[in-house]
Amino acid sequence: MNAALRCVLLALVALLGAGCGSLLGPPYQPSPAPQPVHSAPAPGSSTVTPPLTTTPQTQPPPLAPAPPPPQPPSRQYRLGAAASALVGQASQQAAAGNPDLAQATLERALRIEPDNPLLWTLLGEAHESAGQYALAGSMGRKALQLATGDARAQAGAWRLIGDSLRAQGRNSQANEAYSRADALAAQ
Amino acid sequence: MRLDRMVVTQFEGRRWTLPAQVYAAPLELYDGLALSGSDVEKELQRLAYRRVVEPGRNDAPVQTGTYRKVGTRIDVGLRATRFADGARAAETLSITVADGAITGLRDGAGREMPIVRFDPLLIGSIFPIHGEDRIVVTPDEVPPLLPAALKAVEDRDFDTNRGVNLLGILRALWVDIRARRFDQGGSTLTQQLARSYFLSPRRTASRKIREAIMAIALDEHFSKADLMNAYINEIHLGQDGNRAINGFGLASEFYFGKPLSELDLREIATLVALVRGPSYYDPRRHPDRALKHRNLVLDELVQQHVVPEREARLAQAAPLGISAKSAGAYYPAYLDLVRRTLRRDYREQDLTEAGLKIFTNLDPRVQADADRVLDRELARLDRIHKALSAGAALEGAVVVTAPQSGDVMAVVGGRDAAYDGFNRALDGHRQIGSLVKPFIYLAALETGRYNATSIIQDEPVSIRIAGGKLWQPENFTRENYGPVPLVRALAESLNDATVNLGMDIGLDSVAHSLQRFGLDAEPPKNPSLLLGTVELTPLEVAQLYGGLANGGFRTTLRAVRAVISADGKALKAFPVEVESVAQADAVYEVDRMLEQVIERGTGKPARYVLPRGLVVAGKTGTSSDLRDSWFAGFSGDDLAVVWVGYDDDRVTGFTGETGALPVWSHLMADIAMSSWNVPMPDSLQEVTIDYPTGFRADGACSDDLVTLPVPPGTNPPLKPGCPGSLGAAIGGAVQGLMQRTGKWLQGFAH
Repeated sequence: MNAALRCVLLALVALLGAGCGSLLGPPYQPSPAPQPVHSAPAPGSSTVTPPLTTTPQTQPPPLAPAPPPPQPPSRQYRLGAAASALVGQASQQAAAGNPDLAQATLERALRIEPDNPLLWTLLGEAHESAGQYALAGSMGRKALQLATGDARAQAGAWRLIGDSLRAQGRNSQANEAYSRADALAAQ
Repeated sequence: MRLDRMVVTQFEGRRWTLPAQVYAAPLELYDGLALSGSDVEKELQRLAYRRVVEPGRNDAPVQTGTYRKVGTRIDVGLRATRFADGARAAETLSITVADGAITGLRDGAGREMPIVRFDPLLIGSIFPIHGEDRIVVTPDEVPPLLPAALKAVEDRDFDTNRGVNLLGILRALWVDIRARRFDQGGSTLTQQLARSYFLSPRRTASRKIREAIMAIALDEHFSKADLMNAYINEIHLGQDGNRAINGFGLASEFYFGKPLSELDLREIATLVALVRGPSYYDPRRHPDRALKHRNLVLDELVQQHVVPEREARLAQAAPLGISAKSAGAYYPAYLDLVRRTLRRDYREQDLTEAGLKIFTNLDPRVQADADRVLDRELARLDRIHKALSAGAALEGAVVVTAPQSGDVMAVVGGRDAAYDGFNRALDGHRQIGSLVKPFIYLAALETGRYNATSIIQDEPVSIRIAGGKLWQPENFTRENYGPVPLVRALAESLNDATVNLGMDIGLDSVAHSLQRFGLDAEPPKNPSLLLGTVELTPLEVAQLYGGLANGGFRTTLRAVRAVISADGKALKAFPVEVESVAQADAVYEVDRMLEQVIERGTGKPARYVLPRGLVVAGKTGTSSDLRDSWFAGFSGDDLAVVWVGYDDDRVTGFTGETGALPVWSHLMADIAMSSWNVPMPDSLQEVTIDYPTGFRADGACSDDLVTLPVPPGTNPPLKPGCPGSLGAAIGGAVQGLMQRTGKWLQGFAH
């Protein structure tokens, strides 16, 4: 197994809780807090509408001269059971030397939870190991956008961005990404 | 013997041209998925699983291709199938459903399964123009009853004859000579095979002789089993437009929507009856004839002792059981997109002959909803404008995508979704009108000089254009509203405010913004670009709006997921591709403004149709003189673009709000499962303003508040009269003065 592939595999395993410090930070601890991921059921089922949330619009903030920037709510992304199972399957496929299948399986998971930054980071890692560095970096940035409020998910995304930059020879930017990742991981 | 050698070599090396088979995305089932028992059943019926009712046998294994309901449990005998990423053997699945969601999945051994896929629905094939379509079956996929019935009805001596039946030929010739015509009676199965495989359909005596010689040659060199299998795969059994339905494998899917191996007696008899005249006995066009002839076949089977009389009588009492065509098979507009995608990588011949399997992102549920809603709403709109339309029928097109992955889930190319003609979703280039506006506002926000609460002037505009003429666009209402916040100008689609904004930031940056989001060619940089004179197809609009729905990431739209070869090898995959094309916080601000289009702007009527609390964002578009009516918008997981207009570009009388929006909102109400709910970037904060004026305000001094994300430090002036404002401190007496001051202040709010 080549090193890149092993890297992805480790990343996948990390997500399942087996631990891998180098790519995604410490494993995610299950937390009793309500899962912040808005579960995304398969598109297209037509008759049932799950409870929906509206962005509050009528609650005016206090009319202080300059409202302090609100702290984003802290959250911790996790994977649902179906996506977890698919990530496990992808890790086996990667281990068996089938990176394309692993990617396709991660995409299945992404269709179920398209807003989960962990899946974007994993898929990005898979592309990174396949040598598609620019795409991997884009997926890292996509993960970062979705990871608002989750320091660990942000750290994972920054590491992926760092890896993608380093692979493209942009070392100083890569180091900057890595130090952001370290700072977030330490939170 | 030259003919003999030709027959043997050609037949030995025979390879049916196998059109590529195209599959929809398989439905993924998992715990918590919002799907009711009846949804699951509907899905199984779409895949032609048959319900069985066997009281007292509820714990026995369920047969492949069938399902049964036991309380809240549905047991399914899943068929063996192939996915893009591998094959699955037939297996048993138990689904438990409660309160409209899946609560458990177990395999045949009772083990919990976290995720299971249903079979991918076969949605069509890519056959040559005027070409043959077929699904080749191996002998083990053929129910034994079929060859038995074919022999009984068509060729009783098949097992013992030498390819021809001399008496039969003589008798047929005699009949034909007397009737002064040539018919095909008296042919053995081998002769029919030879005729279909080697000869033109012209009926002449000399051809009859050649056919007989070829049949003898075939019989001499090939086994009966081989000939029977060739016959089953070769013979013509129907016509679907310019698509020839060949072989029993495809006929089974075409008429009954399920694999040949699952056909029962009455269905097999129907297909056997078709051999004599696929168009004369077409069970969809001539059900009475088909039924009568099927029952004759069943009589024959009883006489020949192929089936017991009791079974045959039961089958004769049953209806034909033909599947509705729309339920099974054919999605021409989507297939069109698939074909175009693949033409970049494959020769036409590879697609029509090599037996490729193509796995697409079509979601049959979404496609069915889109077909139905468009058809229904256009019929309603036609009635409204009967007088204006002078009898012409409105046309429309719909594209639905999953913006995060770029999956194209549905394409409707016109009102008659089953008609394989002009595909408006892909080829209808029409002016997009105000659909262009979000890209202008985005470009403005990206300059850093504007935010969602900035005040712009909705005042008459007059611009000297090429040729020295003056261009003086007007608002739709022909009124001007003076100083308005950005959010209101976009939500109410104010033309003059937008043109002022666009001219301020420059046409270059607007064009650049469109190109970054996926516009292929540089649009003409005329001021009229700011009102959407650029002509785009619904698919192109879906590409552009995908970037807005996806937080500033462009995702390449994909109809095809993967292509595998006839023997199951992965040939090509189309992975998810994303690229950041805009500042994420600016896109987020635009999206929150597009949410206000629905909440209080030109998209407001959608609120009466959409479920309460479902947050969506979108934009109306109307081209000049009301020729094109557009709506493009998204929820958390679906993006839909709708165009409504006439093919000959005549005036519709509909705006985006009255024409396309009803289609869009009814469709979204059906398919959208989650709200647009992207987390606000850390780099923004929220501020609440008075929507009409853009002043900072609260409930004490405004009854029309809107909360918007803005860059930190954005601090719009307080609305006069609000607690804490200068106006309130001095008292109501000088409010009028302060309002004027407020207007003066607005000039500095950029």
